[in-house]
Amino acid sequence: MTQPLLKVENLSKLFPVAKGFLRTPTDFIHAVDGINFEIQPGESLGLVGESGCGKSTTGRMLVKLMEASSGQILMSDKTQTEDLIDIANIPREDMKRFRRRVQMIFQDPYESMNPRRTVFETVSEPLTVQNIGSLKEREERVSEMLRLVGLSPPDAFLFRYPHELSGGQRQRVAIARALVLDPSFVVADEPTSMLDVSIRISIMDLMLKLADEFDVSYLYITHDLAVARYMCDRIAVMYLGKIVEIGDTEEILGNPQHPYTKALLSAVPVPDPTHVKEEVAILGGITKAINPPAECRFLARCPWAQDVCRTSDHPPLEDKGDGHYVACHLVESALARA
Amino acid sequence: MSRPLLEVDHLVMNYTTEKGDVSAIQDVSFTLYEGEALGLVGESGCGKTSIAMSLLGLAADNARFDEGEIRLDGTNLLALTPDQMRQRRWNDISMVFQGAMNAWNPVYKVGDQIREAMDLHFRPRLSSREVEARIAKLFELVGLNPAMINRYPHEFSGGMRQRAIIAMALSCDPKIIIADEPTTALDVIVQDQILQELKAIQADLGMSIIYISHDIAVIAEVTDKIGVMYAGKLVELGPTKEVFARPKHPYAYLLLSSTPSVTGPRRKLAPLEGEPPDLLNPPTGCRFHPRCPYATERCSTEEPPITDIDSGHQVACWNWQEVPELGGLTK
Amino acid sequence: MTDLGSRPPGTELDATDTEAVESQEIAKAESIWQIRWALFRRSFRANWKLFRRNRIGLAGLMIIGLFAVLAIAPTFLFRAGFWETSTYDPVTGLESDPPTAQLEIVQVVEDPNTQIDIRQVLVDGRISGNLGDVVDVTLQPAPPDSKHWLGTDPLGRDILSQLMFGAKAAFGLGILAATVTVLIGTVVGSVAAFYGGRIDALLMRLADLLIMVPGLAILIVISAVIRFQLWHLALVIGILSGFGGVAIVLKSQALAVKVKPFVDAARVAGGSNARLIFAHIIPNVMPLSFLYMMFTVTTAIQSEATLSFIGLLNVDMSWGLMIQLANNQGYLLQGGRYWWMVFPAGLAVTFIAMAFFLVGRAMDEVVNPRLRRR
Repeated sequence: MTQPLLKVENLSKLFPVAKGFLRTPTDFIHAVDGINFEIQPGESLGLVGESGCGKSTTGRMLVKLMEASSGQILMSDKTQTEDLIDIANIPREDMKRFRRRVQMIFQDPYESMNPRRTVFETVSEPLTVQNIGSLKEREERVSEMLRLVGLSPPDAFLFRYPHELSGGQRQRVAIARALVLDPSFVVADEPTSMLDVSIRISIMDLMLKLADEFDVSYLYITHDLAVARYMCDRIAVMYLGKIVEIGDTEEILGNPQHPYTKALLSAVPVPDPTHVKEEVAILGGITKAINPPAECRFLARCPWAQDVCRTSDHPPLEDKGDGHYVACHLVESALARA
Repeated sequence: MSRPLLEVDHLVMNYTTEKGDVSAIQDVSFTLYEGEALGLVGESGCGKTSIAMSLLGLAADNARFDEGEIRLDGTNLLALTPDQMRQRRWNDISMVFQGAMNAWNPVYKVGDQIREAMDLHFRPRLSSREVEARIAKLFELVGLNPAMINRYPHEFSGGMRQRAIIAMALSCDPKIIIADEPTTALDVIVQDQILQELKAIQADLGMSIIYISHDIAVIAEVTDKIGVMYAGKLVELGPTKEVFARPKHPYAYLLLSSTPSVTGPRRKLAPLEGEPPDLLNPPTGCRFHPRCPYATERCSTEEPPITDIDSGHQVACWNWQEVPELGGLTK
Repeated sequence: MTDLGSRPPGTELDATDTEAVESQEIAKAESIWQIRWALFRRSFRANWKLFRRNRIGLAGLMIIGLFAVLAIAPTFLFRAGFWETSTYDPVTGLESDPPTAQLEIVQVVEDPNTQIDIRQVLVDGRISGNLGDVVDVTLQPAPPDSKHWLGTDPLGRDILSQLMFGAKAAFGLGILAATVTVLIGTVVGSVAAFYGGRIDALLMRLADLLIMVPGLAILIVISAVIRFQLWHLALVIGILSGFGGVAIVLKSQALAVKVKPFVDAARVAGGSNARLIFAHIIPNVMPLSFLYMMFTVTTAIQSEATLSFIGLLNVDMSWGLMIQLANNQGYLLQGGRYWWMVFPAGLAVTFIAMAFFLVGRAMDEVVNPRLRRR
């Protein structure tokens, strides 16, 4: 029985709404509100949702760019020899070593590289900071990484500056940087949304290929369901800080259960003019992100809301069968009836 | 059969820069009919925005139109004086710009800004009451509450601002609207709502729309005719359904068969190598040949002419007949 | 496009460019310092090309160059023997063969305050004689002649020599002050931007304080406590500016850099706070810092002139001192007759200040890509 590579338990991030100069804030924005998920080794999970759902915040918490307000992030390393360590509450001395396990690829290829550093310096930075290898060894490793990401011959790129590279090339460098420490796990935050369409696909293919070669898992954050489908084995749909549905990609997309997932799916444009779109079933209500009341988060926008959705707290994620988890009172009752 | 409204005829445009001439639009021709929705698809640098700006007479200062005409209702827009073009702008053609949500001046009310556009362009001049009534109707048309007319842009959400931009584009009753990436920065659900509304408005008012986007899925959804652009050239043009079913230009074919989608096969083979070319020094012959798996010797020396395949379906490729049927490639 | 024939056959570059070739050349270098040097040269060339396009920058550089020549000239002139120290030293030199005039003492003036004839005062001060005597009087300050290109001052010292020494002082002071300012300002600004919160508030309030207090007043007060030398002045200006206005400006720039993803990327790689500040934020703030260096030089030179003019600076020779002398002896009001006393020093200060400012403006285009012409 293998333990999961990553296990997130009850993770939350609350942002205080400033009240005044010296008063303690009483209002909080629940950016991420008690989410749970797991990633198995060799598996990629897509975190999908619209802007403000908390997916980027979640990603940043996983790489410790942001501190969690509460909850646990349990991570093992890919050799599965060590016990799970809780990243959310890791002591400072262990932080640096932990960084070897998790890396990140950013969205903006233009701003994610220091413009005053060469490609070599950028990709070797993780090695330098972690004190790995001599200069010669680092140069070799970086050259090897550049070759792997398709920037050949490496010599032609080692000492270029970011402004001398195209967007696609920059993102390849970013991928090289993310993988140079041989991490177990990479958080990819919309890595292709700012690239041209034809380049997007080659970058995604590169990431898939490298996932195999490096035995690395991705948490792929995106707003684009089609891209999530392409890249990920499993998908988690987020809404207003909660995960509302999670499961195998084809299962979720073929058999969406949560009303929000259904709405998202029917709204996604399809590159097929003969495709007839379903009506997007969603109401235009305003949802509260600040101090949300004890009801289903999706209530104001759900066309099928019932009393139970109003009176009970936000439904927990529950297994509806075959690893397909849904957070909805009504789905449960439908199955119970069946 | 509706009449042709806009004819772009062998348009050639270069930007003069310090480093040399950038060939932005290279012999592009197409016709837009009344009530038709045309889509221009392509990646960055393909020239679609340049065309849009040229249609509005808003091309950059260093743009040079070497050849060709843009005829709106028979009049060549390129031959007009700036004043004459200004009269046509917004009244005959208007535009929803890229990033238009941020085009609102934050210190003026939204209604005032639309009023300003109408004062400048709409003829005959309406009384202020008539203008108010018209703006209220426009707001309803785009799905906004008329009570928001006298609010400031920051009081609108992103989607609402985009709708207001569309209202402004409609304010002077144009015959043609150019929508340049109208929904790119919006969330999926809002994007869908706005696209549906645009379709409805177009049908109601009988307007023509030119959609410009890099997202072929969006274009598939809302257009009757599609033009695929690459490096300043229109490489394929035809009815949307036809082009999607039987793309005959290698670029269009590769793009269509490799775009991720929530329907259909999960992953398709996508041998689209390389990157869009530098327009300062574009490749000789066909501009796509360095990336084309069907390229032959001829492609690197001679530019392919536009070939008619069948009714309304055109392609600019020497080897279009080699391009296989869609669906032949799966992973 | 460069000839790429030296590549081994069969290798394909993703982008065939001069940059690719250069990069390959650099990759062949042996040590990290060779690499750094080669990279520096390459970016310097690129920046220089940009800078060159701007004519005011070149004009500024030429003027600075001219003054630099002036500053180094004395050393060379004295060593090579063109100038004898006795005559040309700016402080102690004395023209041994000055033009003289023969004057007849026509009137003995009891109260020098009522008669403003300078020559008579001088004569009264230096030469004794009786009514009706004809005395030889050295005509100092003497107008420019072949031996003294800019004339001499009332004490017989060569003005050009003074100007040159003044240039040396100005450069030394200016550069020292600018360096101190920029060092302090960059670090303070970056630290404030990075940490935010209380550290930021503290540093910014300090900066506000320093801006509010008039700099000249502080300088005057300090000069009462210590014997103010040129390098003291540089240090004080550096500290006041560095913690003051410059820190505020550089902090906002550092803030803009801090939120960029590459800083996040460095942290994700495991970088410490210090590394993020010094290896990532500060290098991206530096271009702006250099810009402010230019402007600080002008401030420093003008402060020196002011302080010397007031007489608070303990310096052997400087432009400010030249102006002070001219004023004390009443020559400032006689600009028409004694122009060589009045104009050289003042113009020197003005021109060098302007030159640094122009260079700064031209650098602005290099530093800020948005200002560049298409």
